Amino acid sequence: MANNFKPNIIGFLCNWCSYAAADLAGSSKLEVPATLTTIRVMCSSRVDPVHIISAYLQGADGVLIAGCHPGDCHYQTGNYYTRRRFALLHKIMETFKLDPERFRLSWISASEGKRFSEVTKEFAEHIEKLGPNPLKNKPFIE
Amino acid sequence: MVKIGLYLCECGPNIAEAINLDKIAEQIKKDNKVAGIEQHKLLCSEDGKKFLVESIKKNEFERIVIAACSPKQHETTFMEVMSSSDLNPYMFQLVNIREQCAWMTPDKEAATSKALRSIRAAINRVRHHDALQQKEIDCNPDVIVVGGGITGIEAALRTAQKNRKVYLIEEQKLGGRLREYGLLFPTMQPAQEFLNKKITEVKNTGQIRVFENSKVKEILGFFGNFVATIENKDREEIEVNAGSVILAIGANPFIPTGLAKYGYGTFDDVYTAAEFEKMTSSNNITTKSGNPPKSVAIIHCVGRKRLGYCSKVCCTNSMKIARYIKEKLNGVKVIQFYKNLCLPDKKYDEFYKKTKEKGIEFLRFSDIEVTKEANQMMLKYKQENDNEDALPVDMVVLSTGLIPNPKTEDFAQMLNIPVDEYGFFKEEHMKLGPISTITEGVFIAGCAQGPHSINDSMVQAGAAAGKILSSLVPGRRLQLETKTSYVSETMCIGCGVCVDICAYGALTIDESKRISVVNEVLCRGCGNCASACPSGAARHRHFTTKQITQEMIEILK
Repeated sequence: MANNFKPNIIGFLCNWCSYAAADLAGSSKLEVPATLTTIRVMCSSRVDPVHIISAYLQGADGVLIAGCHPGDCHYQTGNYYTRRRFALLHKIMETFKLDPERFRLSWISASEGKRFSEVTKEFAEHIEKLGPNPLKNKPFIE
Repeated sequence: MVKIGLYLCECGPNIAEAINLDKIAEQIKKDNKVAGIEQHKLLCSEDGKKFLVESIKKNEFERIVIAACSPKQHETTFMEVMSSSDLNPYMFQLVNIREQCAWMTPDKEAATSKALRSIRAAINRVRHHDALQQKEIDCNPDVIVVGGGITGIEAALRTAQKNRKVYLIEEQKLGGRLREYGLLFPTMQPAQEFLNKKITEVKNTGQIRVFENSKVKEILGFFGNFVATIENKDREEIEVNAGSVILAIGANPFIPTGLAKYGYGTFDDVYTAAEFEKMTSSNNITTKSGNPPKSVAIIHCVGRKRLGYCSKVCCTNSMKIARYIKEKLNGVKVIQFYKNLCLPDKKYDEFYKKTKEKGIEFLRFSDIEVTKEANQMMLKYKQENDNEDALPVDMVVLSTGLIPNPKTEDFAQMLNIPVDEYGFFKEEHMKLGPISTITEGVFIAGCAQGPHSINDSMVQAGAAAGKILSSLVPGRRLQLETKTSYVSETMCIGCGVCVDICAYGALTIDESKRISVVNEVLCRGCGNCASACPSGAARHRHFTTKQITQEMIEILK
């Protein structure tokens, strides 16, 4: 594996908790890997499993979904649905021969800027170790 | 081709020093996807906003991307600029290159390429934006207050004003549990004096219509437009309309019949604190034999273990009762049997000290049993240090906690509000929405939400009133959430998955068409239904699958 591998990681952040946590990480000048680009959604439950699969097919090396802690969802129960879909997607990823470790779900509240920085750094390092997404530049159906 | 304008904000040195904006402008120019790029020192300033409006109009841009700070900072600011530029405010995307790029990426080159990636994604997204219209509905500013206890009374008094009627509905008589009180803690003022003052105030407020001996049969509708059916004292059904509902149905004292060791219901002269309170309001403290008691034991935390929570008002209430007995009956011995004392307020500790000074004993126990030996009531108890002892007493007062009003479940179902594990109404969020519920326009105050003191209940009533006064203003229309979901009639197969998952009951099946429909007043715009819909019929405005995927594709290029 080339040492200069720079992964491309997508982070879906819920507007109320994790997006605010990312903002807080920034305003506290805490480092967050530049390999992570975030997409804001109102609730983590807005992340359709289709978005995740399509992210990997488009070549994402890692995908992170971050939302409010269980019991703390701005929309009551949204993150519970996210959790179930996450479990389901793990199964689907296996059939794609994709390492489920490329997919992460984290609960990060609005006040946890430090945690946002730590989680993303750890995840990005892990993805760097895993190397590029094997589906990249490969036709889906062989 | 649609004319997209890109604006790069330097945010003083905040962005300019961390990101090479010139390089970004150069690259975007090469991409040839925008009609113009402009850079400014501080776009959110008065000068910056003026510059934006003039520039957008001059260049005739149709959609705008601004790379600046977090949408949590200035999304609204720039949406207003959009409106001033005669563009729909949703034809705009804000790229967060300050908090989530400049400030978190120490390496300038890495920050520049991340910012470029995010800006390209936003340009690709904004192309697929739809013009959304702010929807408004007529709303009724009137208020329905369910429960005429002190919480309901206070809620009614605080919401009633010119141009706003309040319907205060009480199953019995105004005053609720407070009608059975002798004294108030910690002021020790007569409870009835205080209550009557409040009730007179209610009766003198022309805007409050009181329904006593009346029941709420049904409440239908949603925020801004509720309809309640009330059965009045003459058993006639009356319909009233209101924009919001305050549930102040209170709680009941726990009755310890199932806890045999306290002797409640077995021996005479064993009372619950609530029953004793009734005796104090009639000013007559005697045992069944007709004599005043020479010794009274007050046992704390009765049923505490069974309930699973501390009711936070019983310790202080016990002290109030003890003081009352001590003052009324000459030479009486009063002993408080407690496990843990809950004295959480600034004045409470002082009250406790004074209570002790008055000669009231406090005895910490680990176990206790009320028995009777040769016509004398005996308390057999185990102390902290496991020493066992017995004490003859003439009267026992059981300080029990508060349990939910049995009507809680009915109202919860009627208004789609969850109840917590103990059966009280569940607030929207412990910190962010302590008096609101997941059903917009329905508020909870006082002991209906959990045990509270009179003071706290009144504060909650005031808080609920404040929410209503600021959100439903007479003569003003109600602005609805814009980024709601909708269901495509042609795509929907009527499976009902979205109906089941919606936390707000915003989705229902239209039986005539056999498809799902969204009630836009109830929809809060989380987008869960759009993710769950198996046929792609449920869609989330401003967060459509197309918009999200197009943003993502560009990031992954």
